[in-house]
Amino acid sequence: MKAARDALFDRRLLIVVGKGGVGKTTMACALSLLGAQLGKRTLLVEVDGVGRAAHLLGVEPGEVGKARPARESLSVMSLDGSAALAEYLEMVVPVKRVLQAVLSSRIYQYFVAAAPGLKELMTIGKIWYEAERLDEATGQRCWDVVVVDAPATGHSMQYLGMPHAAHEVFRSGLVGRESQRLIDLLTDPERTAINLVTTAEEMPVNETLEMYQRVREELHMPLGWLFVNRTHHATFDGAEMERLEQRLVTLRDPRERGIAEEVLDRAREEAGWTAINRTYRERLAREIDMPTVEVPFSFAEEFGADQVRAIAGVIETAIIGSARRGKRHGRS
Amino acid sequence: MAGLDDILNRHRVIICAGSGGVGKTTTAASLAARAALSGKRTIVMTIDPAKRLADALGVRALGNIGATVTVDAVPGGKLSAMMLDQKGAWDEMVERHAPSAEIRDRILQNSFYRHLSESFAGSQEYMAIEQLCELYASRQYDVIVVDTPPTRHALDFLEAPQRLADFLDRKVVKWFVKPYFSASWATMRFVNRTVGFLFRRLEEATGISALVEVSEFFTSMSGLFEGFEPRVRRVYELLRSKETAFVLVAAPDEPVLAEAEDFCRQVHDLDMQLRAVVFNRVHREMSGKGVATEQVRELLARILGDGGLAKRMAENFDRYEAIGRGDGLRMEAFRRQLRKDVRVIEVPNFKTDVHNLEGLQAMHAYLFAA
Repeated sequence: MKAARDALFDRRLLIVVGKGGVGKTTMACALSLLGAQLGKRTLLVEVDGVGRAAHLLGVEPGEVGKARPARESLSVMSLDGSAALAEYLEMVVPVKRVLQAVLSSRIYQYFVAAAPGLKELMTIGKIWYEAERLDEATGQRCWDVVVVDAPATGHSMQYLGMPHAAHEVFRSGLVGRESQRLIDLLTDPERTAINLVTTAEEMPVNETLEMYQRVREELHMPLGWLFVNRTHHATFDGAEMERLEQRLVTLRDPRERGIAEEVLDRAREEAGWTAINRTYRERLAREIDMPTVEVPFSFAEEFGADQVRAIAGVIETAIIGSARRGKRHGRS
Repeated sequence: MAGLDDILNRHRVIICAGSGGVGKTTTAASLAARAALSGKRTIVMTIDPAKRLADALGVRALGNIGATVTVDAVPGGKLSAMMLDQKGAWDEMVERHAPSAEIRDRILQNSFYRHLSESFAGSQEYMAIEQLCELYASRQYDVIVVDTPPTRHALDFLEAPQRLADFLDRKVVKWFVKPYFSASWATMRFVNRTVGFLFRRLEEATGISALVEVSEFFTSMSGLFEGFEPRVRRVYELLRSKETAFVLVAAPDEPVLAEAEDFCRQVHDLDMQLRAVVFNRVHREMSGKGVATEQVRELLARILGDGGLAKRMAENFDRYEAIGRGDGLRMEAFRRQLRKDVRVIEVPNFKTDVHNLEGLQAMHAYLFAA
């Protein structure tokens, strides 16, 4: 337990999952940036994405399946199952002409488009390959850390469950053996952590609780950190808002009064979300046993690389703080 | 700016699409409640709503595909709801279309099927559309509102039936099925190098026993999907019909808008009618433009005194102004590339989570403002 709390970046494979729209890609980018800043050679993999991760790191997305350097120690890669399968076939089929014939055949294309589980399996396979890959020249690992920006929760479960399903179906043979290797990696607490991202609201929290159960009880995969994104923290209380409300009625000028009403309205909005966030943070704390990082709502006009850097800073502070507490605790 | 009432009046099928986490379920429920309150027999088909939304609609106990309940919370008894069970989508499809009990059992007990049916590409999307076609044909409802399944890419919903049709195309399934146990297998390998190669690879990769399972599975399935093509064609006919309107639900965030743009283009390319875009969780810059920060600070200091409160209130106001400005600019840019006949509705960020009937009605003020 202590190791899980303190040593996020000691693990090679950090998978980031969560409901659509809670800020998974942002969090995966911030984690990768932090990894790179700590001097780890980091690869960020965006699964089924549209190049948003690359943009947030300030580079144009590269070719699918190819790592693109974004800054010192940090590369980013978009990944989809069809490309991963083509790459895999390239490795096992030495003859280019035959390979081309296979890839361009109608049957192959239909099969890849709809075959159950194939794309998911190939995607996990490619992630495994990158996580374990050795540099031919030095014999060292290519990446110290691979961060995966996974698809939305429901779909993530399909990805993460696929090696197990494939292993059950294809016990013997190459697929059986290969899927066992994927399972070994994904369930190894020394190498892998599943990190959850949520906002402190009804629907995302419900989905997060379900995911938490399933990761533990169905997938048996090691959990890492819980990131609670976009938390509001009002800097005033109810009595103070009431004071503004009482004073603003004394304003005679309708324009001034209008402005004061807008100010009060925004204060109420902030207070409202602060209260909602508090309720759901408490629920998360009650029901989920994971070290948690809270990331405040970003009030930027435009969300971009600066905001991602700021979030990396928030995560760093939280993780280092937690490690210190852990050490002190350990000594006493 | 007109509201969405005429869309509910002119179309029998309203499809709410959009990427995950933008308030699609809530918007669909709100549209359906409005139609029912105006006296139309209405049904909303939804997937996996938040528990409280389910409570508000009275669909908590629903699990089976096709089971409908009357939503008592909406007066008049005109609103029904149906919850699609996304996990059982394929089981249901097998149950419904298997030509015999024997084939049904063979499929359901096939180990390949049992492990992988959940990940069949597009099965939830397809089931939602198939269910829609049935309801439409039954003429039991004046308005059918569909909350599309949550996908990372909103387009998946439109493409799912065609992808399934391609996959289940008998000509294709035949390649995987027939030759395996027959004498023609060897011949086919010889004749079609590509396919032969693929199969040899599959054999090596999977081990024979597993391939037998797979082959058996496809054999059973091919009987199941007799006539699948015409059904898919009917699905697209309905999606293109004048009676169907698409409502795109979005939020003023950059990644959501990028996808929304793709979606609009695709819907038009497919000859389907995009009638409205609903932006949820919009922050607005203060209405009286040109209000200087200093002015706000001075005013607050005057009425609240020089203490910390005036400053804190002003800071909070500035922060919301910043996101309001950003939302405004992003939506403006998005609007410019929309066709003129597409209505744009903005629903502000509420001060509370929307997940009950009052919340749905709070949305009406924005969705149906004159």
